[in-house]
Amino acid sequence: MVKTDFLIIGGGPAGLCAAIEASKRNVKTLIVDEGVELGGQLVKQTHKFFGHEGFYASVRGFEIAKRLISELGENVTVMKQTTVTGIYEDVITAYDREKDLVIEIEPKYILISVGASERFIPFENNYLPGVYGAGAVQTLMNQFKVLPGRRVLMIGSGNIGLIVSYQLLQAGAQVAAIVEIADRVGGYQVHADKVKRLGVPILLRHTIKKAIGEEKVEGAVVVQVDENFNMIPGTEKEFAVDVICVAVGLVPSVELAHMAGVKIEYIPELGGYVPYRDSHMRTNIRNIFVAGDLAGIEEATTAMIEGRIAGLAVSQEITGQNLGFELEKMQEELIEFRSGPFSHKVRKGLERFFPQYVRDYSKNSQRDLGPATKLRPIIECYENIPCNPCQTSCPSGAITVPGNINSLPVIDYSKCTSCGICVMKCPGLAIFMVQENYQPGKDLVVIPYEFLPLPEKGETVIALDRDGEEVAQAEILKVVKSANKTHLVYMLVPAGLTQTVRGFRIPQKAHSLVCRCEEVSVEEIEKAIDEGYTDYEELRRYLRIGMGPCGGRTCRVITLGILARKTRKNIKEIGFGTFRPPSMPIKFDSIIKGEIKDEK
Amino acid sequence: MKNEYRVAIIGGGIVGCSVAYHLAKFGESDVVVFEKDYLSSGSTGRCAGGIRQQWSSPHNVILAMRSVSLFEKLSRETDIDIEYKQGGYLVLSYDDQEAVQFEKNVQMQRELGLDVQIFTPRQIKERFPYVNVHEVRLATFCQTDGHANPHLANFAYARAARKLGVDILTHTEVVAVEVLHSGFKLFTNKGAVRSQILINAAGPYSREVAKMVGMDLPTESYRHQIMVTEAVKNFFDPMAISFSGNFYMRQTKHGHFIMGQGDIDEKPGLNNNVTYKFEKEMARKMSKIFPFLSKLRIVRHWSGHYNMSPDAQPIIGESPKIEGFYYAVGFSGHGFMLAPAVGEAIAQLILLGKTIEVDISELNINRFEKGIVREKNVV
Ligand SMILES: Cc1cc2nc3c(=O)[nH]c(=O)nc-3n(C[C@H](O)[C@H](O)[C@H](O)COP(=O)(O)OP(=O)(O)OC[C@H]3O[C@@H](n4cnc5c(N)ncnc54)[C@H](O)[C@@H]3O)c2cc1C
Ligand SMILES: Cc1cc2nc3c(=O)[nH]c(=O)nc-3n(C[C@H](O)[C@H](O)[C@H](O)COP(=O)(O)OP(=O)(O)OC[C@H]3O[C@@H](n4cnc5c(N)ncnc54)[C@H](O)[C@@H]3O)c2cc1C
Ligand code: SF4
Ligand code: SF4
Repeated sequence: MVKTDFLIIGGGPAGLCAAIEASKRNVKTLIVDEGVELGGQLVKQTHKFFGHEGFYASVRGFEIAKRLISELGENVTVMKQTTVTGIYEDVITAYDREKDLVIEIEPKYILISVGASERFIPFENNYLPGVYGAGAVQTLMNQFKVLPGRRVLMIGSGNIGLIVSYQLLQAGAQVAAIVEIADRVGGYQVHADKVKRLGVPILLRHTIKKAIGEEKVEGAVVVQVDENFNMIPGTEKEFAVDVICVAVGLVPSVELAHMAGVKIEYIPELGGYVPYRDSHMRTNIRNIFVAGDLAGIEEATTAMIEGRIAGLAVSQEITGQNLGFELEKMQEELIEFRSGPFSHKVRKGLERFFPQYVRDYSKNSQRDLGPATKLRPIIECYENIPCNPCQTSCPSGAITVPGNINSLPVIDYSKCTSCGICVMKCPGLAIFMVQENYQPGKDLVVIPYEFLPLPEKGETVIALDRDGEEVAQAEILKVVKSANKTHLVYMLVPAGLTQTVRGFRIPQKAHSLVCRCEEVSVEEIEKAIDEGYTDYEELRRYLRIGMGPCGGRTCRVITLGILARKTRKNIKEIGFGTFRPPSMPIKFDSIIKGEIKDEK
Repeated sequence: MKNEYRVAIIGGGIVGCSVAYHLAKFGESDVVVFEKDYLSSGSTGRCAGGIRQQWSSPHNVILAMRSVSLFEKLSRETDIDIEYKQGGYLVLSYDDQEAVQFEKNVQMQRELGLDVQIFTPRQIKERFPYVNVHEVRLATFCQTDGHANPHLANFAYARAARKLGVDILTHTEVVAVEVLHSGFKLFTNKGAVRSQILINAAGPYSREVAKMVGMDLPTESYRHQIMVTEAVKNFFDPMAISFSGNFYMRQTKHGHFIMGQGDIDEKPGLNNNVTYKFEKEMARKMSKIFPFLSKLRIVRHWSGHYNMSPDAQPIIGESPKIEGFYYAVGFSGHGFMLAPAVGEAIAQLILLGKTIEVDISELNINRFEKGIVREKNVV
């Protein structure tokens, strides 16, 4: 049994910074990390970071990790290659991979800063060896200096996909292409330009159809998609690759937090399911804190600040010192950081927990969502771009872009006549219309739509949220065609979704595995839901989804998406099931060995 | 949900769904089942799925034998494969006194028509070479015992009942009950409903539900932990159990080993957490008795509740004080296996005023007035 004042689970930027603050104040601290080196995601990053100087901007990721580690004091103990496997009622367990035994830990305070895991998408043969997540590719390449293969197909053009492609090229691999289902690059333009300059094609409106190979990946079939993301038959292209790297986003690793009894909430803006925490990073459980990507997918900079806040808050309680001033300073840093337009999502998500403040960025966006029973526009124009057609098109002068054209539009709902012109005119497709309770149990959402074919009145479509994720089924009420080709699609969605639904797709049949451990396909899940298994736990038990060694890490979110769509429920209303320890499979022998060592 | 039903059942576990199914099968489908969570969310979905006829009390033997004959037909009757397997139950004894009692039990069981064998340690080794028989006194074995997948059995009854017209409402919690002059008025989170007959099949919540009609049931819920390993090739046919050794274990159709034990230090109350102590104790004990386990990995560990009665036998019947109020509760850790027979018996009691296959009159609450004879064959 190991006793400590402060246990930090996960030594990424968040965990390290918490440890630095605690060690400055003589708090006995233990960092447990499953990696070979401390530093989390930082270790894998060979590019220069964005951010601000006080938080190591323009320093390369792995260098930041080194600097942080050098700041750890003597009262910090580090256990590497050790995974925390369970937070039980009686004790916390960690599996030491080198010694092959389980250690029991009894801390007074806990920081869970385990970061995030990768999102995953279903495609045919996605279980073949050679299909990797971007994180695994980075680990192999930058940490173990092993190339996962010679020729790679990258799925996803967000920052991670772009950066990992770049890193693969640096490491000597070829990148056959970057495939992006959307019609534009997801990440920062600068990152995209970097790989473009190196001759990597970015295939927009393309997706992976299947992996080819018997025992391992030998190739991939990529296909063009139409305006509705349906694969266009006949446009298949084959790539001879030995690695398919999936970089389609991250989800917070909430397993341990949930086991410990931390309240988990579904906040898509923060990456999906996230633990509840207050502004001091404290969860609903007094002695448990969270920080970094686990608390919401964001950046290394904010992870570091959050870690420092958690470290300060814990130190304050353990030592009895008043650290109010230091805490205040860090809060101010966070506010400073999150004031920019790119942090809007995060701020919005965090609003669910406590109020958010902005500084220096005086541009106020439309806050009031207007009178619920009126059909009215919702303007989602948060980036300061020089644009004002919404203002100039509105026949009744309801919308103003005050002062500079870069300001954000605001609306006076009392002047709005619900004409919908602004929705058609907005070049950013940033304006939607909504009306709550249009019919009993149904809300109306109007989507500006520029794809063909247009859906038909009465047709059932799949409503999507701001991230393109499926949330429910919707019914097309009417389609108003416009000369400027921005058509208005009026659709009925389950009540409560007016602030969630921002798109739709026409349903298509997929044939791919959702749960790779137990080989459950999309069709099987859909069939079971039709048979009446409408709870995640019921489905899990009926089809054995998530019963394999991964514990549902990859398939849970996909299953919930299917469930939400089929049952026409908001994903928030659907229970996401339980996480059970151990979080990774543990041998009987390792438990016994740990006990024997404890006895000695 | 209608405003009124003939029969309302509280609890969508295997017991509630079995009662509903049997009522409908015998012609009464004006039935509603209220389940506050999802189907199999209670003890049923957390249990080990063992089906055993070797009991120390004749009532349990008779009920279990009837259940076995119903389990044998269940997959066919409902068109859901419940993964039923009659691989036998190997009951190991590590205690001299217990061994003597086992011999008496076997005699009683045989008199009731059950085919049970007694094995010496050597015979055990011959038949089940993967069991370490160190310190084992003897074992009893009944080939027609076995196990099934509890979720699927629960779903099978529910689906078959629904097909026959029963309303099964999940996420619908009964929060209060008014006892009317004739019948009951139930208040749920989705509205109020009347019924002539009310059945308490609330598993771990049996006492709380009984309180709603003003009855004090002598049941109490105790947490029981249970865990499962990764899957390996199927080779382990029986369910192994020991009361003196305090464990049970079986291999599922998909190759996982499910196992658990009791904990005498457990306090009554509802608690779904798990302790690492359990894993440590299980790891030591089980890898000694079943050495092949030591290299296997544990993948999941959870807990559920035994709804205990004072004599560890179920409390089944109609309330002597409140007409139309029935209960099938206090299963004390063996309600999964008894559910088919109990569901059938309650349905008959309601529709015919008497049971046909098994006599459950001795299992009603008034038995406690005569004193308590405890069922010994429990983990
Ligand atoms: C390709 C890429 C590029 C990026 N570029 C930038 C950038 O330019 N600028 C920027 O600010 N941010 C960037 N980020 C984001 C940044 O890296 C993350 O936001 C940040 O690392 C999050 O820190 P964290 O401490 O929360 O988690 P992590 O860094 O993920 O650390 C979590 C740690 O917990 C450990 N762990 C997990 N589970 C357990 C367990 N059960 N037991 C023990 N240990 C465990 C892991 O081993 C890991 O060390 C980038 C991310 C990626 C993937
Ligand atoms: C670890 C473990 C192992 C076990 N192993 C075995 C075994 O091998 N063999 C065996 O036969 N038995 C076993 N059991 C016992 C068995 O699980 C139970 O006896 C059996 O499942 C009881 O079924 P039930 O339908 O009465 O209860 P439950 O399955 O608990 O169902 C009761 C339901 O009622 C619902 N409910 C309660 N109150 C309300 C309300 N007010 N409104 C609406 N709904 C309500 C609950 O949500 C619950 O779903 C085991 C139990 C545990 C915990
Ligand atoms: S809907 Fe019509 S009236 Fe309302 S803001 Fe838009 S253009 Fe103006
Ligand atoms: S036209 Fe669209 S993008 Fe431009 S300011 Fe108006 S709402 Fe924003």
